[in-house]
Amino acid sequence: MIRRLGGDLLRSRAGLAGLALLLAVAGFVVLVPWLWGPDADTIDFAVAKQPPSGAHPLGTDFFGRDLLARVAAGGRESLGISCAALAIVLAFGFLYGAAAALLPPRLDAVLMRLVDALLAVPRLPVIVIVLVLFGLNTSAFTVVVALSVGGWMIPARLVRLELVALRQRPFVVAARSVGVGPLRLVRLHLLPNTLGVLLVAAFLELPTLVLSEAFASALGLGVNPPTPTWGNIAYDGLDEARAWQVFLPSVAIAVFTIAANLVADGIQESLTPGGTTWRGRSGPGTGVERAVRALFGRPRRPAEAG
Amino acid sequence: MLVYVLRRLGWSVVVFLTTLLITFGLMHAIGGTPFNASESSSVPLAAQWRLEAYYHLDQPWPVQFAVYLWHIVRLDFGPMLSYRDASLTPVMKEAVPISLQLSGLAAAVAVVLGFPLGIGAALRRGRATGALLTVLATILLAVPVFLFAELGRDYVAATPLATTGWGSLRSMWLPVLVLALAPAGYVARLVRAGVVEALGEDWVRAARAKGLRRGRVVLVHVLPGALTPFLAAAIPMLALLITSAFFVEQIFRIPGAASLFIESADRRDYPAILGLTAVLALLVVLAILAADVAAAALDPRVREARR
Repeated sequence: MIRRLGGDLLRSRAGLAGLALLLAVAGFVVLVPWLWGPDADTIDFAVAKQPPSGAHPLGTDFFGRDLLARVAAGGRESLGISCAALAIVLAFGFLYGAAAALLPPRLDAVLMRLVDALLAVPRLPVIVIVLVLFGLNTSAFTVVVALSVGGWMIPARLVRLELVALRQRPFVVAARSVGVGPLRLVRLHLLPNTLGVLLVAAFLELPTLVLSEAFASALGLGVNPPTPTWGNIAYDGLDEARAWQVFLPSVAIAVFTIAANLVADGIQESLTPGGTTWRGRSGPGTGVERAVRALFGRPRRPAEAG
Repeated sequence: MLVYVLRRLGWSVVVFLTTLLITFGLMHAIGGTPFNASESSSVPLAAQWRLEAYYHLDQPWPVQFAVYLWHIVRLDFGPMLSYRDASLTPVMKEAVPISLQLSGLAAAVAVVLGFPLGIGAALRRGRATGALLTVLATILLAVPVFLFAELGRDYVAATPLATTGWGSLRSMWLPVLVLALAPAGYVARLVRAGVVEALGEDWVRAARAKGLRRGRVVLVHVLPGALTPFLAAAIPMLALLITSAFFVEQIFRIPGAASLFIESADRRDYPAILGLTAVLALLVVLAILAADVAAAALDPRVREARR
């Protein structure tokens, strides 16, 4: 399946562009701190607040730190935190969704109602509250936890939908009829068949997580300085009213967001031959719409009732 | 219709109570007795006593929750930690209306900007203009709001055209505009999707075949069809507005609820955070209710088919 998916992704123009952009961002974030001379944390007041120059292609910040190095190192931190949160979100989302799908319908209804309610809650305040509960003693770990608390609902819902559909398929019925227990059923039959959905969920959720991390950091509530993250760099820029320093991480975030959405679109298309899976009244939507939906809860489509 | 509204109302009350129960539980999770001097020595003793009396901490927790509910119902949010004598209610009475004003205006501006953008992108689909408008909407959504806010503060608020703060028209238009940008992008994408779909429908073809002018076809035949999903998008839009408000209020120094929230978070003023969370939850629940009822009013299928 993965191989077919790769092929489809390479054939769709948007998917290819998204993949290339993602690789470019990843390459930038991994290679620059490794190859580029100046360190992200070296303070040198002699060159503070410089505009772009030969020695510092993106200029320097208030402490004379090289902004190219900081944006790259910050991206590494931001993406690392987001990927860690993504792993937790997908794992918990899968477990929750699987539990909902396999438990009696009454419990399933309760569990999904809870997800509905949580999806309506804006994510940023929730993340701030979790960070405050940790006493604002913020490390990468607490940010990962805060991001995870805010983000597991969409994967849970996607997994449940998929499993409810799978539940009636002959191979699952057959497995159950020969006495396969629920755990084994999930591990051998259901998990492998939800990989596609999880992949879509991953690429929809990832930019959301990156954005949430940036928002929390840009409010001064993220990973403690001097560790650079995209949000932290922007926070310093906002603090010193230097638009340039806010601009750099913002562009990085925007490029990453758009790229991940393009890839999610490509995967979605590949998994649903013939274009769209369902024609809701709002239409299947583009990647960014789905990202917004994932970020802030899905619009409750009236057509679902009909 | 009435039955439907009542059912949604009941559901809203359940959701709101659950949220309050969670915030109340969090309050308790911050240490066994939340206002223990040994644990948080920064809380003055007087404030501690006020809090203990206010929350009836000598009673069992169901009583405490009932007391808490009763306070919230009367819009009495209790004392704050950050200011020695301040109680939260008057502070919120000042901050919350400012935020409601700001986000209400921004929502209106977002619709005004987003609709033409979305309609234009849909009608010119497959051409350069359409692609350009679509890209524009995407950029509005993907670029973090703090960049727009910073640019506005640096390059516009520094001129005589605008100031920071809140109250005069000169100070209000810029934050409202910045706050409206991301939601406008969202509205534009939604409207575009709705219009593109509607353009392919039979009734639109019929209207065009009758020889109606283009503007009339779009306004009378296409847009109403694109409106119902738009209503359903009220919740994501509200969330976008709230998220953006955090930055817009901070950067333009607007003394609203989002500023208060961040300030309280910085000072670990738990009662203030929880009070604001309760208001936020109420706002979200009411928005969902309004969107549901409006959708049901527009589309009979919704009110009939719901369980």
